[in-house]
Amino acid sequence: MIRSEEGYFGEFGGRYVPEILLPALQELETMFSDLRDDPSFWQEYVGLCQEFSGRPTPLTPLRRLSKELGGAQIWLKREDLNHSGAHKVNNVLGQGLLVQRMGKKRVIAETGAGQHGLATAIMSARLGLQATIYMGADDIERQYSNVFWMRQLGAEVVGVETGARTLKEALDEALRDWAATVETTHYVLGTACGPAPFPELVTYFQSVISQEMKQQALDQIGRLPDAVCACVGGGSNAMGAFSNFLDDTSVQLIGVEAGGRSFLPGEHSIRMLPNTGEDGIAQGYKTLFLQDEDGQLGDTHSIAAGLDYVGVSPILSHLSRTGRVTADSATDTEVIEAFKLLMKTEGIIPALESSHALAGGFKRAKEMSPDQHIVINLSGRGDKDIFNIAHAFPQPEWTQFLQREAKRAQELEEATKGEK
Amino acid sequence: MIPAQHQKLQVMSHAVVGFPTLDENEKAIAGLVEAGVTMIELQVPFSDPVADGHTLVNACYDALKTGGSVKATLELAAKVSKKHPQATFILMSYLNPLYRYGLEKLFEDAAAAGIKAMIIPDMPVEQIEPWLPKLDALGIAPILMVTPNTSEERVAKICASARGFIYVVSRMGVTGKQTQWGEEFEAYVARIRAHTDLPLAIGFGVRAAEDLKALTGTAEIAAFCSKYIEWQREEGSEKAAAKMKQLLVDSELA
Ligand SMILES: Cc1ncc(COP(=O)(O)O)c(C=O)c1O
Repeated sequence: MIRSEEGYFGEFGGRYVPEILLPALQELETMFSDLRDDPSFWQEYVGLCQEFSGRPTPLTPLRRLSKELGGAQIWLKREDLNHSGAHKVNNVLGQGLLVQRMGKKRVIAETGAGQHGLATAIMSARLGLQATIYMGADDIERQYSNVFWMRQLGAEVVGVETGARTLKEALDEALRDWAATVETTHYVLGTACGPAPFPELVTYFQSVISQEMKQQALDQIGRLPDAVCACVGGGSNAMGAFSNFLDDTSVQLIGVEAGGRSFLPGEHSIRMLPNTGEDGIAQGYKTLFLQDEDGQLGDTHSIAAGLDYVGVSPILSHLSRTGRVTADSATDTEVIEAFKLLMKTEGIIPALESSHALAGGFKRAKEMSPDQHIVINLSGRGDKDIFNIAHAFPQPEWTQFLQREAKRAQELEEATKGEK
Repeated sequence: MIPAQHQKLQVMSHAVVGFPTLDENEKAIAGLVEAGVTMIELQVPFSDPVADGHTLVNACYDALKTGGSVKATLELAAKVSKKHPQATFILMSYLNPLYRYGLEKLFEDAAAAGIKAMIIPDMPVEQIEPWLPKLDALGIAPILMVTPNTSEERVAKICASARGFIYVVSRMGVTGKQTQWGEEFEAYVARIRAHTDLPLAIGFGVRAAEDLKALTGTAEIAAFCSKYIEWQREEGSEKAAAKMKQLLVDSELA
């Protein structure tokens, strides 16, 4: 497992935060460094993932699709089958164990696609914690079903109206909340970014993905795969999928970023490819950020809210700079095609974030030979994207249904108003 | 001039460079100096100001649209420091714009522009330490922050590297909201005093004459920032300066 040098991975990482947040980060770091070397803690964590989230998630062969594409044998690591529908819950369950040890009763989180917020709301309901979730106002509109469920579960969802109203602003706002509440509140950071120890801590919990994947590959393929491919937003599912293969140099590791509409500034969220992200220090850590000459963080775009972020895990910045991880990107259009292909050929509905890994993985598979194997990390399921997919593949019946449903909801609201 | 320990309370106020416009910054600063303010922070606007509340966040966003930048801040500093030699100008910025500019060059250019101190809220003391010889040589005081939850050990470490004054964050949270002064606060200030002979600046939540009165005798500097920026936004820089003048009269600091 990868370990930082005092919070740094090569030149990236670190802890660049206002003084007020340092005590909590130091406390977290001390707790984490004690627990990570205690094998019984890992057992406790894996046990919890098993009994609550159905782990281990399967490694599914895509027989029909592999044949159709005519290249490598394609396997999916099924993080979509987690409770809550994405890998995000792994990290949240792990941090839940830490919160219980700290004795804090309130948690906050930032969320883009809403999967991390949903997982945090689930954990909070289960442990009886108060939860406040910060989410960009535009992301709320894009991922409303997750907002609905977070609120049903009892979490407070705060829409962030500043800036580009996406994940970057949600993270800023969570940090501001934390500055005021740090003594009683834990910040459940949702990806392998932010100030140390978060990148390492989130990677540690998510590494359960590649721990299982490696054993499953040995059992089902009979050897290690030739390539592992994952989408990269902040980098938590990618680090989860890669971390146990870092020393296995025969395994190519491919991180697929959001190519959006084009390579023009503001139209994508690619940070690791040439002429995109540059070294910067913001949001508590040093990494590759999309930014202008003056060091102002840039605008981003992706069809997938969970990848629409300006920075990337410092661990991935380091691993892409050293060449261990290969960066690639997939455009919104390629993503929609990959989404449809998996759904129609294999009966699996992927999240739009994960569909980036599919697009990148399918492309790679076609260049490989049928005796090779590629594992694509399917980070989440696509239920949350029902509205986005409805836009991409319009059906008149859907529009008519929405109109009927809007009318019913309106009538119900008016009727209950009358009662009060 | 930065006051010495136990000198009378001085008000430090604020400009977000580019807010409302670069031209108006100059007039606003002249108004502040005329009102009797002798310490002024020039804040480089940033896209992600995580230690600031809504007033300064929104001022940053507006300032970025009107051309606020590191370069614009240095240009403004050069002008106002020449024009108002009686005032002390302090550069305030998040780290990334300075890091992108190049820290060494930034420190040199800031000194050349008449900047006397620098506040970088997301640059912890460990990161400042290697730069101390350079900053000392240039005559720029790194202003370090302590907060109510800073451990005794860390306060000592911070005070050892601090120059100019210590920025005592009055309460938990970000800029903009009211602070309750009282025994707990006084004990906190006394705890910091035990570690340093430098003057103390109190920041966060200083919003009215009552606050300045409460801090008189407790600290040497009071940062009156978000409220001033609110005045600027709501009533323009000229009225904001008049209000500042009245504030100093009301708080018996004129
Ligand atoms: C299903 C899914 N995959 C991937 C991501 C991207 O995050 P990360 O790069 O941390 O895995 C998200 C984030 O919201 C997500 O919901």
